[in-house]
Amino acid sequence: MVADGVPGHAGGRLVVALRSEPKTLNPVLAVDEPSRDVIRCLTADLIHINRGSLKTEPSLAKSWTVSRDGRQYTLHLRRGLRFSDGEAFNADDVIFSFQVYLDEKINSSQRDLLVVGGKPIVVVKLDAYTVRFELAQPYAAAERLFDGVAILPRHLVESSYQSGSFSQSWSLSVPPNQFAGLGPFRLKEYIPGQRVVLERNPYYWKADTAGNQLPYLNEIVFLFVASEDAQVIRFQSGDTDVLSRFSAENFAVLQKQQSEKGYRLDDLGPGLEYNFLFFNLNDLSPKGLPEIAKKQAWFQDLRFRQAVSTAIDRDGIVRLVYSGRATPIWDQVTPGNKLWLDDKIPRPVRSLEHARQLLQSAGFSWKSSTLVDPHGEPVEFSILTSSSNAQRMKMATIIQDDLSQLGMTVQVVPLEFHAMVDRLQNSYNYEAAVMGLVSGDADPTSEMNVWLSSGETHLWHPNQDKPATQWESEMDQLMQEQLVTLDYAKRKRIYDRVQEIVAEDLPVICLVSPDILVGAANRMRNFRPAILVPYTLWNVEQLYIQ
Amino acid sequence: MTHRQKLAGSLVLLTSVQILILFAGFFAPYNFAVQDRQRPFAPPTTLHFMDLRGNVHIRPFVYDLEDSGKSILVSQSDSEHCYPILFFVRGMPYKIAGVFTSEVHLFGVEAPGHIFLMGSDAYGRDQFSRFLFGGQISMLAGLIAAILSLSIGIIVGGIAGYYGGWVDELLMRGGELFLALPWLYLLFAVRAALPLHISQWEVFLLLVSVMGLIGWARPARLIRGVVLSARHRNFVVAARGFGASDLYLLRRHVLPETYGVLLTQMTLLIPQYVLAEVTLTFLGLGVGEPLPSWGSLLSSLQQYYVVSSYWWMFLPALLLIPLFLVFYTAADALQELHKSVTL
Amino acid sequence: MKYLARRLVHATLLLAAVSLFSFAILQLAPGDFFAPMGLNPQISSRTIAGLRSQYGLDRSFPVRYGHWLHDALKGNLGASFAYNSPVAPLLAVRARNTLLLTGTAMLLAWLIAIPLGMWSAVYRGKWGDRAGAVVTSGLLTVPDLVLFLVLLLVAVRTGWFPTGGMVSAVFGDLNVWNRVKDIAEHLFLPALGLAIATLPPLLRHVRSAMIEVLEAPFIRAARAHGITERRVLFRYALPVAANPLISLFGLSVATMLSTSLLVEVILSWPGIGPLLVDAILAKDVYVVIGTVMLSSVFLVLGSLFADLLLFAADPRMRVE
Repeated sequence: MVADGVPGHAGGRLVVALRSEPKTLNPVLAVDEPSRDVIRCLTADLIHINRGSLKTEPSLAKSWTVSRDGRQYTLHLRRGLRFSDGEAFNADDVIFSFQVYLDEKINSSQRDLLVVGGKPIVVVKLDAYTVRFELAQPYAAAERLFDGVAILPRHLVESSYQSGSFSQSWSLSVPPNQFAGLGPFRLKEYIPGQRVVLERNPYYWKADTAGNQLPYLNEIVFLFVASEDAQVIRFQSGDTDVLSRFSAENFAVLQKQQSEKGYRLDDLGPGLEYNFLFFNLNDLSPKGLPEIAKKQAWFQDLRFRQAVSTAIDRDGIVRLVYSGRATPIWDQVTPGNKLWLDDKIPRPVRSLEHARQLLQSAGFSWKSSTLVDPHGEPVEFSILTSSSNAQRMKMATIIQDDLSQLGMTVQVVPLEFHAMVDRLQNSYNYEAAVMGLVSGDADPTSEMNVWLSSGETHLWHPNQDKPATQWESEMDQLMQEQLVTLDYAKRKRIYDRVQEIVAEDLPVICLVSPDILVGAANRMRNFRPAILVPYTLWNVEQLYIQ
Repeated sequence: MTHRQKLAGSLVLLTSVQILILFAGFFAPYNFAVQDRQRPFAPPTTLHFMDLRGNVHIRPFVYDLEDSGKSILVSQSDSEHCYPILFFVRGMPYKIAGVFTSEVHLFGVEAPGHIFLMGSDAYGRDQFSRFLFGGQISMLAGLIAAILSLSIGIIVGGIAGYYGGWVDELLMRGGELFLALPWLYLLFAVRAALPLHISQWEVFLLLVSVMGLIGWARPARLIRGVVLSARHRNFVVAARGFGASDLYLLRRHVLPETYGVLLTQMTLLIPQYVLAEVTLTFLGLGVGEPLPSWGSLLSSLQQYYVVSSYWWMFLPALLLIPLFLVFYTAADALQELHKSVTL
Repeated sequence: MKYLARRLVHATLLLAAVSLFSFAILQLAPGDFFAPMGLNPQISSRTIAGLRSQYGLDRSFPVRYGHWLHDALKGNLGASFAYNSPVAPLLAVRARNTLLLTGTAMLLAWLIAIPLGMWSAVYRGKWGDRAGAVVTSGLLTVPDLVLFLVLLLVAVRTGWFPTGGMVSAVFGDLNVWNRVKDIAEHLFLPALGLAIATLPPLLRHVRSAMIEVLEAPFIRAARAHGITERRVLFRYALPVAANPLISLFGLSVATMLSTSLLVEVILSWPGIGPLLVDAILAKDVYVVIGTVMLSSVFLVLGSLFADLLLFAADPRMRVE
């Protein structure tokens, strides 16, 4: 396969910092970002999402056909490929890999993606280089499912899978000759606490436009640098070549020395992260939380939520929390997601006056500058945030100040993340919370569980037996419909309506979407950062050093 | 300087600091929570005595700040944005000791001018006002935690040192146990178990108290050492010979020996607990926004961008150095005085 | 010998108590390692429940503790949820690195503290002593993290020191001598910073212990006999002042594993710190408990070491 970048020259070493050690090299079990960052360089998938275009492209499958009903995908594999240990690749490896991913005993987090319409995908081998995937129902984003599902070398891991020790295999201490993949690099060494070193895979199957075999780099060194500030400092002093996932404030610090230190910085604009405030709309009768249940009368009133949304100074959040490197949003699709953004969603300006009118129309009034509800109760509630996320703590503090101007008494309650999740998902003992989600993909399908009323991450009221409100039932229908609609234009119209509902009925009050910020040493070429994870190293095989 | 003079000097200084803190509302030009979203990280306002035309003013004045467009605030030095400093001005209302309400501030400038003597923080809040108000909660928390640690320390250390033997062994090993346990999770658990509507003040004091309760092991060790040696002093042995009860001996002869260590520990522990909040903040357990505290002011320094870009954020730390120094001097003097009395 | 045996029994009891209480405290904080996965829209609760039962987190507290204790007696400290691997080997390599850092820093701190503390005790109340007091209280006021950030800032601006890690990227290509040099270069900044951070209390203690001794009649007598000042200080005063300092030294040995946690995180030193901070925040409980156990062992060893030293240094103790 030919890669589209500028032809470069071979050699050199790339040094990258990871926030923590990768936990495993086993692609079936990896859930943390550092593990996945390393595994992406070591493995390949059948169909890949090009991070530059956000569209699918052939990878190990050189082409595929879809049956007319949209339920059968026939993939034609590339011939003559070899794993990084020199063994040949064929359909048996694919069949084996999916068997492992779908095995309930393995508990792979990727399994849930491969269950469509309640049934696991069925994988059938047609011949040594053809595989058919059968879905229980048509699935609009089916091609995208294959992204990141790394194909395993059957000859190396089948025995451990059979003996039931697969979960322990391919930990970081695996000897390099026991590890193989189809990615541009292969494992060289791991030094606990310090680094993982990858070397060029001599059997890699991609070539550049001039016909040279990829990758260009001899080595990638992943250092473990535990804090963001430390990563910024290492990058600034030239120890590392690439930097991503850092704050706007550090961006400004790095900017000052940009020219003398030999690196460049990029602001890619908003990514796929959306931050939001939401209220507890759960049915609390089985939980017995009378205090909160009483306040739900306010939270359930759309005019109350509208007033809150109107009173929040999104521009202030952009300026104070992100030094201007973020964009205010009014629904869940960020301006970075150009394929799915509905640009007709209204963007009302902040108005305390309008907020007060809304509250008044909902029967609220003021008693010596304190807001009271129709029963004369003062409006007081708390906002949960995760204490480990400085940005969201700041957002909550700004919201607190904004709402105090409406006469509401708001308390910010920072909780350790596990404790916060416990309240959001188990005890429902909270009133409001500030959260953020990063879509795993630009496609709406990755968000199914957030917007379906039966979804587990339908945060404000998860796991509903039947939709509690009229707009939730409409949203359910729309989400199911887009899932099986194969035509993009039609799907886009359906998802536009979902965005409208979010903006009008405010199940979550969307706040801002931060920009994706990256940095790279000047000597790196073909560096094309993207707004989808992994922001920087997605085209690692094409990176070369001047 | 005699120890007595030293002690008097530091007590006067400490008292005046306490007055500043207690009447923070009066001495601070702003409320601690007021945000100025146009002016985050404003540098300290310079006081001017001479205007652009070279006229000298007796009443100092300040220029207003403007966004230069590069996220750096610059001072606008023209006559239009010039605000004289006024004394005993009316401003935002505040409460003294939680009872009296007043609106009079020692100094201030007329809106839309600003005066940030120590610069402003990430939300554009006046650091000087936050420093004064922050003292209230920090001094209180430090005091409470230190008293808790020492009271348990003196009980455990006293018993262990006085009775010795297996009691001593048990209590000291218990102390080691306390040093070893992962207390962080207890703090997490306490924070998570608190009801939603408990004020930030109470949450913070509670967490600091838990820290104080946990922190008895080190002082207990020291006190035990002193008690151990006091027990063998001739006059104690003699008193016991005369049939004095344990309680009498402890109260009359043994515990007075520990005053020196106690005082030193107290003056060391208060600053230590004030600073412990920096660690609490690092873990997200610090005093909740928008309340200020010295620990939270210092903890903003833990970010690289603050340290490398905004020098004035060091000012709270610089102000605390002489304050803590006064504490240590007072401790030294007390210890010396105590020694000269007992000798 | 009997004494050592008794200490050993105490140590075992202590370790058992530490493990039990640690388990209990960890149990108190809500949410477990797998809870945050619940917020990932792409992972179902069924998968999470499967993982919980795979790692035995669905079992009751006594059962889990029993299992752990049973394994621990055989030298197996449980497995990390995150790393899918046993805790002991995870800790071993990192503990070595941590000890290299804290050992160096401790040595440095004591080498500075003893002469400096003696000096300021001798010149007590003079300007040098006062300046020292200002500097130490300044150091006490500056949180450790800030101190390290400032040191790092200097390193970045000047380029004099490496800005983190234990070795440079080219370490594999170096010969033995250059490897030692490389590690030493990387060690310098964190060890110096850690030494500075631990210095103030040491200095205060050395100073006050010396002051007490210098006022003792036998020192006055020694001076009156015309013995040189240097000899008086080092030959007569220091050994007597050593008593409380030895306990303090034991305490620094006892906390060798835990003093450098945050430093290691900021300077990416490959020690216990980054692993533990990560594990604490993620609730990877067996890693946390393994580390707690390891540092308890150090605590026991440190206080035993101090007692033995006291025994050797102080003739009065030998009588008792």
